[in-house]
Amino acid sequence: MSTVDAKNDIADSSGRQPTTQRSGPLDLATIQRNPLRQAADRRLPRVPEPCALVVFGVTGDLSRKKLLPAVYDLANRGLLPTDFVLLGFARRDWGDGDFEDLAKKSAKDQARTNWSDEVWNRLSGRVKFVPGAFDDDAAFGTLNDTLNELCKTHGINGNAAFFLSIPPAMFPTVLEQMRRTGMADDEQAGGWRRVIVEKPFGHDLESAIELNTLVDSVFTNNDVFRIDHYLGKETVQNILALRFANQLFEPVWNAHYVDSVQITMAEDVGIGGRAAFYDQTGAARDVLQNHLLQLLALTAMEEPVEFSAEAIRIEKTKVLRAITVPENIERYAIRGQYDQGWLAGSRAVAYRAENDVPPDSNTETYAAVKLGVETRRWAGVPFYIRTGKRLPRRVTEIAVLFTTAPHLPFDATDTEELGHNQLVIRVQPDEGVTLKFGSKVPGSAMEVRDVAMDFLYGEAFTESSPEAYERLILDVLLGDATLFPTNEEVEASWRVIDPLEAFWEGKEPHLYRAGEWGPKAADEMLARDGRTWRRP
Amino acid sequence: MTTLWDTTGTAVVAALAAERRTGGAVTSGLALTLVVVVDEGDVAEAESAATVAASKHPMRMLLVIRRQIEAPVPRLDAEVLIGGRLGPGEAVEMRMYGRLALHAESVTLPLLAPDAPVVTWWHGAPPDRISHDPLGVFAERRITDAVRSPDPVAALGQRAVDYAPGDTDLSWTRITPWRATLASAFDTVHASAAQATVSGDPGDPSAILLAGWLSSCLDCYVPVEEHGHDGVSSVEVGFENGTKFLALRDGARMVLRRENQPDTIAPFPQRELGDLLAEELRRLDADQTYGNSLGTVNGIQGLNSRSGTRVHVWNDPALADQGEADAAEAG
Repeated sequence: MSTVDAKNDIADSSGRQPTTQRSGPLDLATIQRNPLRQAADRRLPRVPEPCALVVFGVTGDLSRKKLLPAVYDLANRGLLPTDFVLLGFARRDWGDGDFEDLAKKSAKDQARTNWSDEVWNRLSGRVKFVPGAFDDDAAFGTLNDTLNELCKTHGINGNAAFFLSIPPAMFPTVLEQMRRTGMADDEQAGGWRRVIVEKPFGHDLESAIELNTLVDSVFTNNDVFRIDHYLGKETVQNILALRFANQLFEPVWNAHYVDSVQITMAEDVGIGGRAAFYDQTGAARDVLQNHLLQLLALTAMEEPVEFSAEAIRIEKTKVLRAITVPENIERYAIRGQYDQGWLAGSRAVAYRAENDVPPDSNTETYAAVKLGVETRRWAGVPFYIRTGKRLPRRVTEIAVLFTTAPHLPFDATDTEELGHNQLVIRVQPDEGVTLKFGSKVPGSAMEVRDVAMDFLYGEAFTESSPEAYERLILDVLLGDATLFPTNEEVEASWRVIDPLEAFWEGKEPHLYRAGEWGPKAADEMLARDGRTWRRP
Repeated sequence: MTTLWDTTGTAVVAALAAERRTGGAVTSGLALTLVVVVDEGDVAEAESAATVAASKHPMRMLLVIRRQIEAPVPRLDAEVLIGGRLGPGEAVEMRMYGRLALHAESVTLPLLAPDAPVVTWWHGAPPDRISHDPLGVFAERRITDAVRSPDPVAALGQRAVDYAPGDTDLSWTRITPWRATLASAFDTVHASAAQATVSGDPGDPSAILLAGWLSSCLDCYVPVEEHGHDGVSSVEVGFENGTKFLALRDGARMVLRRENQPDTIAPFPQRELGDLLAEELRRLDADQTYGNSLGTVNGIQGLNSRSGTRVHVWNDPALADQGEADAAEAG
């Protein structure tokens, strides 16, 4: 995201000191100094400084399916610096060549852009591997030495980003190793050192604070990047564009005109083979705490003063802190678990019958909760959030339902079918925006019915948009923190989830059949307020 | 157009999304989803009717053809068209074999247009109880056609027993021109009606419903007298002041005969199945007039105050047959 360029001139004229968060090449000071970078020049891509990307846990699913292909795609689009090195660290008896083969295979299988041997050849030779276990002091020593050598041989200028794709239990060990060897220290390294952390960010508020403190003690607060890959999606960023670049929507984006907001994240798959992790976590901790609350924050936040990382994060933190949990958790926070059923033409087994799931498990695969946002803008507007597995189709959407008109001059029978006007942001799969409003039925009488106008980000009409990981990795290497939740955001999100989890402890979830849109209790939750769930 | 053989529900959803993107339809407007339940032998007729309706209402059309429920292996074939032979809107035609046919909603539910009203139309004989058919349970409007049942009069009776607001029947749609003519004839009359008679085929549900409508509006018993075999041939209404008028159908014309006045002639539109369907799709709320007429015909009160939603009741036709066979053996 080009956040820093735009405010060049305004910073000068208002006399305000530009706040620079990072010591990268593209902070405001550098832009002002560099005669070749002008704010009006939008064509030049932002390429990071020479650096190394160190990946812990290269053999995991995430690395193979998302990270390594993203690196290839960035190289293909010309967005990697020429002095770039990819370094793998894992407990395998490999040499550089073996890791390179693995990376090449991943990239070939999963890359978004087309495969080109030439592009790969530029990368090959810049792919290194250091074998070792996470508790192996010597191996980390080797890693540190390798990085220092790469400064001389491959010109990485001491810059390195560490991608921690490792089980949460290993965090303390790995971080301690990095502190001990000085790999995390900017000054000692002579360049920037950043760490990229994947969710889960803790198991509850206490563990999240512990984890944050630990990571911050090794890397400074500014150098920690938590990935929530939803924030890398085109459509999610479009929420900001839609809200703040247009005159049309801002005046109605508040409690005077909005009746309710429904945020849905539905999947049609079950838990696959992740039973060990999922059974301990559940839908609320897995998805509600991070992705859904981030979507809520983007929908409900106030307009940032400028489009910079700091300003946006301030607004997001503010709104996350304003979220309230229902007083009656029993009735306004529903947990569900899928039972057997038919889904997309074939049978689906119950959650408790899945492999490795204990037959008396109370873990939820569905969660629906009514939240409030206590700000002047949103007081009184319910935010209904739901997520679930084994729902009829995979869809993520944010639906803003507007109030009905206070007075309709038409005959009651002519408008019986009118529902609420809606603005729906379809995050996935059919990326786009839907506007639903009442329109006259063609004919001689005045009958009004709802019509949904869809705007689709069709692939035929736009440049293929980058995958979330590409954008996020690039932003880490550039030092742009806009799309990464902060400590405060993570902790504020846990403050919302913790009371719910405490209430749900030991209770049974409501069952729903696979292929239905959730348990009856969730429908009743909205019926009590006189509303119904939108069928996405 | 995409054709998928022996496919999965997820693949069909993905194919529809892909068609929308690559078909250049970057924006679209949908008012409803039409689910058509039809047997293989009638597919062509149902397709052409639905296409006519699609050209009048922007919709997503899902044709569900259930075949060979007793086939051992479930199978799904699908065809996805946008703006092709099935009209300007989106259309998915699905053929289901085996047990999948009893779980048609598992494939249909993900294909429903988001948050738009659903209309289900049974082209063939209506189901005995709509709550047994999941494709009818999630619909806001249910369209049946009693005349396609082996015993249309009994079928109409069953429609009344099974009625829930939002149900409608094409035999009601067929008499709209009659009702329009009679209503406009009454506009010029200032006396109250004493009696009325419908002449036509007493075995035709349209004639019965017309009589029921007149009866519920005029608050008197309206018989159906046999005259010809073609639906409704004429309606005669007598008033308290002794006057009467006769509305009769003469081919493509409607003739209104009043005493001491020349005959008024109006065109009687010949409406195809597609036109009837298009009329039903104009209004998606419950038709109270139909409810009253249906109730009057069958002597059942309060049809309009029933709940408009149904809950699915599982009914396995194989077991139902088995049950009958068992009963036959035992008895």
